[in-house]
Amino acid sequence: MSEPRFKNRVKVSERHGSGEWKIERIALAILVVLGLWVAASAFTLAGSGYDGAMDWFANPLNAVLAGLTLVVFFGYISIAWKVIIEDYIHRAGNKALLLGLVNIVCLLATAAGVFFIVRLALGSAPLPAGLGF
Amino acid sequence: MSQAADAKDDQTGRFAVPGKPRPLSPHLQVWRWHVTMLASILFRVTIGAVSVGALIVLGWLAALAFGPEAYTGFLTVAASPFGLFIGFGLTVVLFSFILNGARHETNDLGVGLSLKTANTLASLCVWGPVVLAVLFWAALFATGRAVL
Repeated sequence: MSEPRFKNRVKVSERHGSGEWKIERIALAILVVLGLWVAASAFTLAGSGYDGAMDWFANPLNAVLAGLTLVVFFGYISIAWKVIIEDYIHRAGNKALLLGLVNIVCLLATAAGVFFIVRLALGSAPLPAGLGF
Repeated sequence: MSQAADAKDDQTGRFAVPGKPRPLSPHLQVWRWHVTMLASILFRVTIGAVSVGALIVLGWLAALAFGPEAYTGFLTVAASPFGLFIGFGLTVVLFSFILNGARHETNDLGVGLSLKTANTLASLCVWGPVVLAVLFWAALFATGRAVL
């Protein structure tokens, strides 16, 4: 056993975990700011109808921030669920299964969301058109 | 507590010394409720609720990407009493996420951990979301963006 390492008299993680913690902190800080933007956007978009929403997405700043919010959110929420699952599920098999499931759902949701946002930002034709049906 | 003394099926790791289980840490049943504890639990609840909320937002994106017809369908559901109820809930969750996120980040920096400040921050995170959501929806109705 190597000696425990200390930084500012606080014991430093010996294996891993501090990196994850740091990512979670950075992501949450970004999301707190973006959350305010989401609230303001929701206020703008409420009652603006289809055309209003399309106009909103035509603004590149809105599209980029929406995409950023989506990616950072699902990155954060997958770690947040990991923390919760690790707190309550102690059977290795169940834990791995749940963690895998959370990651798959987050990845799929991010991919679908980015796909929609890119199409909306580019003003593509309504959807079934682009899927080859 | 049937599993209390069952070392074979134990998931808590308190049987490190065979035959001498270490006591479990106190849990919800034995702790005196405190506002910091409530804020912490509500943040976990918020994490769950915001996950569902994100999927609803994803549904909104999909409806918009599938064109005017699908979007009208989405708006019809959103404007119904049930839809408005869900919408109100989503704003509570959003504000809870923002406030609790800010509280968590503040405390993670080692700031605001004195008893008085921690209590104040926690109270803000428990009641703030409801107050902000009510104000948000009052503004929506006042400006005609939402109608009942």
